Formats: sequence, structure tokens, C-alpha cells
Amino acid sequence: MGKKLLLRFLVLAIGLVVMNMVYQFFFFENDLKQYSPEILEVWKQQQKNDVLYFAESSNMNVRDTDLVKKSISELTDDLLPKLRIGAVNKPATHAGIYKHWIKNMRAPYPKGIVVTLNLRSFGADWRHSDLESALQASVAMLKPYPALINRFLLALNAFDNKTAEIRAQEMLREWEETQFHFPFKVPYPTVRLWDNAMANGSFTKPDGTWDMDKITLACHYVKSYAFQIERNNPRLKDFDEIVRFCQEHHIRLVFNLLAENTEYAQQYVGKELVQIMRYNRNLLVKRYQNKPWIKVVDNLELLNGLDFSDQNWTTEHYGYEGRLKIAKQLAKAF
Amino acid sequence: MLFNSLDYLFFLPLVVALYYLLPHRLRWMLIFVSSCFFYMAFIPKYILVLFAIIGIDYTAAIWMEKLSGQPRKRLLMVSLFANIGILAFFKYFGFANQTLIDFFALFGKEFKAYDLGIILPIGLSFHTFQSMSYTIEVYRGHQKAEKHLGYFANYVLFFPQMVAGPIERYATLGEELRKKQTLNYQNLSAGFRLLLLGFVVKMVVADQLAPFVNQVYAAPTEYNQLQIFLALVFFSFQIYADFFGYSLIAQGSARLLGVHIMDNFKTPYFSASVSEFWRRWHISLSTWFRDYVYIPLGGNRTSIGRWALNTLLVFGISGLWHGANWTFIVWGLLHGVFLLLEKPFKRYANVLSTFVLVSLAWVFFRAPDFQSALQILKGIVISNPSAAHWLDYWTPFCALGLMIILDFSYSKLRFDQLLEGISAIWRWSIYFALLFILLSMSGTQKFTFIYFQF
Repeated sequence: MGKKLLLRFLVLAIGLVVMNMVYQFFFFENDLKQYSPEILEVWKQQQKNDVLYFAESSNMNVRDTDLVKKSISELTDDLLPKLRIGAVNKPATHAGIYKHWIKNMRAPYPKGIVVTLNLRSFGADWRHSDLESALQASVAMLKPYPALINRFLLALNAFDNKTAEIRAQEMLREWEETQFHFPFKVPYPTVRLWDNAMANGSFTKPDGTWDMDKITLACHYVKSYAFQIERNNPRLKDFDEIVRFCQEHHIRLVFNLLAENTEYAQQYVGKELVQIMRYNRNLLVKRYQNKPWIKVVDNLELLNGLDFSDQNWTTEHYGYEGRLKIAKQLAKAF
Repeated sequence: MLFNSLDYLFFLPLVVALYYLLPHRLRWMLIFVSSCFFYMAFIPKYILVLFAIIGIDYTAAIWMEKLSGQPRKRLLMVSLFANIGILAFFKYFGFANQTLIDFFALFGKEFKAYDLGIILPIGLSFHTFQSMSYTIEVYRGHQKAEKHLGYFANYVLFFPQMVAGPIERYATLGEELRKKQTLNYQNLSAGFRLLLLGFVVKMVVADQLAPFVNQVYAAPTEYNQLQIFLALVFFSFQIYADFFGYSLIAQGSARLLGVHIMDNFKTPYFSASVSEFWRRWHISLSTWFRDYVYIPLGGNRTSIGRWALNTLLVFGISGLWHGANWTFIVWGLLHGVFLLLEKPFKRYANVLSTFVLVSLAWVFFRAPDFQSALQILKGIVISNPSAAHWLDYWTPFCALGLMIILDFSYSKLRFDQLLEGISAIWRWSIYFALLFILLSMSGTQKFTFIYFQF
């Protein structure tokens, strides 16, 4: 029976190889259109450009009142007439998604790539976002397995596909249990305690009632930026993979460390929060700056509070002046 | 653990390999442990509910065998009350509360319900019914009480069929689990065939029909007559493919372990009457109700009035068994009414009319509430051309076509048997075609099996 089974497994294995070829030839591209359309955009942009710019909404969002609605990548492209820069954007994406896009670029590779190094994407707030399952689904077809297997794994939902409730629980647990151990003093040992303190009347109106708009924003600043990037932070591993890929394929890599509203962070929460942001920034710059094929463009404190288009939330959405300042920084790096 | 998960694709071969590596005397332990592991992947603490059912029915049966007369009957009652009590507590407490709230609201009064915040243990209706069939059979003297707690536990817990049946009798499954199985090519090959077909039917047919149906049922007023009509037809096939697919995977998984599980479906949409439909649809539940409710009530050997009442009662209970909602009771009662009307309208009964009636009844099964069900039925009758959202027709039609082809082939012979009789080249061509369809065309929005909720 052993021989009989072995023979059948062999036939099955050959059949699978043939099926994979048939799938790739006839069905794969259509499935990519449906499930991972961004990679098609990557391939399209690769053909037209020297440099690819990978970003989340920071590169798409413009202020309603902006006269010039160009994105950061377009402004950079304008500033560098000898280089053609094309962008691939998707809201809420992060290095865990970019790495799949980048690894699936087709040879010949672009001369360089720009990847947004978004500080917030390292925090629990973003890592456990309820958008994460949809994002992971969008790269399920790009895993390093045969295309047909990737398609089946997508059908089995064999990717990081937790429910929004589970993600929320994980986020709350992290805020509650992870203790800070910075080399400087912070007012509270965990996000949970800090958030609670901010939520309990940190801002009052002249009539003595709580100013809920300011309190909400202050709490959000705490939840977005009060974290310490540890060695095991999955985002670090994602960026490291991008770094390795670029090294192996001789691609110049620029990390655009995005500007955050440090002015409002100080105003609403305090200087300790800005100190945390700087600490994390320094860690990232130190980790990636010393590699010859990488340039980290540090824009963390580049902008003023009013340069941000969202005045009542923590985002990396900038008005025209803000986008232009960042574009100039990037142009300098090239 | 879901059958249509990567976990199961690792779990099953591992269990099968260990099963044949272990000596026969230890295999019950493997089945027990793996079944517990399988079940605990859902909500771990609910395994205790199953242990309670096993403990009560195992003890009751052993005592029952030693007693006769009233004490024997009393023990049966204890077992039945315990099983039904557990089922009622987990499944019908919320329903009873909601019914009382609605009832009091009719008189402008408020009923203060106590929310226990219970989540229904997965497949509870199935294992309570399976376990009850055992104690009833022991009470009737048709079945000897099982002395080996492990074997009895495995009868209730056996992972391939524990969460959605088929609801097996101890005389068949219990004996199958006791048999000394040897690694046998025929079992392996039949098991893989059943698994392949089961996964295709579930993941390609049911899961590709589901998005269309879900969209229409979520907002019936936003779709036109044709779309609603199609959703109704598609749901008839979705639920069939979903449950039939589950049953095939259950049969295939069990067969890999040498265990034969009964057929739960026999191409039900080829039935020429509603009564025939129930002989071909969810056979294990139909026969359960026939043997333990309908016949004890007098069956059809009674006056017409009593027979009608019995029929409605059985189908009403069957509806309630499916779900704790009035829509399910109406679904069950509708089938009861169809059966009652079958005799006077016998000459009108054919495959098409049966399909239409069954599909109309499915509206109450699928709709979340009466309002939605009535909106669906109204949407089929009254044209609403302005309401037409774009829907993908191509995928569900392909899925439907595939199901019809598979069902036609299945109407001749069971798939695994059908393939045995053809040449190796054709057989392997069919395997590869099905495997390719499965790997490349399965639905990507993962849907759990519909019957898991019962």
C-alpha cells in the first residue's frame, strides 16, 4: 500500500505544479485585480518611474482649502526634474503591508524607493486597528508561496484575521499591562493610567465644566504616541525586511520619518509625551541611519501645529505648506 | 475548529496518522483528546456542558438497564429533562425573554428581562439530540448501556460530526468507534474523495452564493424583483451546499479513521413532494423526530385531526430546534402545512412545485425577522425597478451550475462510489478538475457553516 500511496502523492504533486502554472497563466492577474490591486499599481508605476513612493494616507490627503492639491510624492517629483517619482498609496497601510508590495516588485527594480516611516504605526493603537484584517487580506495573494496556494490560503482566511473585538482586547491589554521604562521620567507608568488621568477633567471650560473636545484629543494623543518601541515590535521586523530586500537588490532606500504634531502633543498632554516621541524617533534613526543604502529623512518636528489639516485628531495629514516642506526635505535626500 | 480552516488541514492528518500508529486499546483516548481539542477551539469552557451531558446520560443508561417499570421511566425522564434543560437554558432563555417582552409590550407593559449574556455552545442541539437518542434506545431495550465511559464520550464528542451531525444512533456510530480499524487503502481513498467533494461544495458553491444572498437579505427593499428572486433561489442552494458540504467533510474525515457515518442528504431538490423532501433532507434529524416524537405521538395511525396536529407539532418543534426565533417556528409550521395539503393536492406535486414551496419556506429560515421575510416575499411579487444595486451575477451562477452538475451525478450514486466505477484516467481527471476548482475558485469571505449555530 505504501508504494501505491507514494505513487499517488507523486501524481498529485505533479498535478499541483501543472495546476499552479495554469492558474498563473489564466486566473492570477484577475484575482490580483480583485484581491490585491495595489500590486498591479506597483508594477504599473515601476514601468514609468525611477523611484517609487510607498505611503499611507499622508500622501493622498489634502486640505480642502489648498490651492495646490499635489501630494508629497508629486511635489517631490516636481522638485527633482531628473527623477520620475511614482506613488502607491493606501490608507492605514504600514511597513507590514509595504514589505509585501516591495518584495513583489518585478525586476528591473527601481533606482530607489521611499517608504513612510510613520511613528504612530509602531503603537498599539495602529497595530491592533480594526482595519488590520482587511489590510492583511489585501496582501494574502503576495505571500512567498505558489500563487495557487496563496489563493487557497486566502479562501481559508489563513492570514492575521482576528475579529475587531479580539484586536480591541489586545490593544486594551497592551495599554493596561505594558509598563514604560524610559531613561527619563514619565508621569504615569502605563497608557491606561495616563489616559485615565487625562480623561478626568484635564481641561475645563471657563464655567468649570469639562472641555470634552480637548480632553478627547488629549487622550487620543496619549494613546497614539505614548509607547516605547521594543526590540520585538513587529513593525521593526517589517522595516528590517524592507531594508534587507533593498540591500540585496541594490535599491536606494529613503525612509520618510513623517512629521507629527509635536506642538499640539506638548500643548495637550505635556513635554513628556514629546520626549517619548523623540526617544522613539532617535531609536529608529539610529537603527537605520548608519546603513549606506539608506537615508532617513527626519521630519518629526519639521511642521508647526497649523500645518496639519486635521486639527482635532492625530493624523499625518498636511496642508500644502506642510507637504511642500516635507517634499523639499525628501528632494534634498536624493 | 472549523473544517474550512488551515488548522483543520493540519489537525486531521495528524489525528489520522496517530490513530493508525497507536494500538487499538489506546485509540479511544486519541479520539477523546482530539475531539475535546477540536471543540475547545471555539469556546473552551463549554466543553464542561458536553461533559455534563455525557456524565448524566452515561450514568442514567447504566442505572436504567438495571431497573424496570416506573423507576426506569423516571431515570429516562431525568436524562431527557437534563438534556432538554441544558438546551433550553442555553438556547431558549433569551428567546423566552424576548417573547415575554414582546407579549407585555402588546398591552403597553414592560417586562424586565434578565440578560444572562449567554452564547450558545456550538452544535448543542446536535449533541443533546444524539445523546438523548441513546438513553431512549436503552430505555426501550433496543440498546445495551455502554459501560466504557471513554467510548460513550466519543459517541457524543466524535469530532467529525459533533457540531452539526449527522445525528447518529449508538447502534451504528458507537459500534463503528469500537471496531478495530486497520489502515486500509479503500477507506483512505474514499475519505479523500468525500473530503474533496465536501470542500468544493462548501467553499466554492456555498461560499460563492453567500455574498449575493447576504447583500439582498440585508436590505431587501434596495433590490429589484429579479435580484430578490435570485437571492431566494441562491439561498436554497447555499444552505444545501453549506450543510451537504459539512456532512461530506464529516463523512470523509470519519472515513479516514475507518468510521462510516450515515448519509444525511440524498439529492433533496430532486424530490417530487415535500414528504419526499424530508426523506432526503437532513435525514438524521427527520428520522430522529419520526422515531422519538412523531411515532410516540401516534404518527399517522390515528384520526385525521390528531394526525394533522401531530404533523404540525413535529414540524413546529423541528423549527424551534433549528433556532430560537419565531421565524424558525413559522418555517417548520409551513412545512407541516405543506405536508398536510399534499394529500388533497397530490396531482400538483412535482419536482418544481416542491422546490418552489421549499424555497419560499427558506425565506423565514434565512430572514432575521418577520419584517425582512415579508419584505422579501413582497419584493418577489411587487416590482420595484428603481431599486437595483449592482450585484455580481457571474460568480453565483457559476457556483449554482457546478452544484447542479454535482447533484445530478450524485443522484445516480454516491460520489465516492460513482468514482470507483470509472477508469483511472477519468477518475484522476475529475480529482484534478475538482481540486483546481477548490484551490482557485473558493469564496474568499469565509463563512462558518450555517448549521453550526444550531
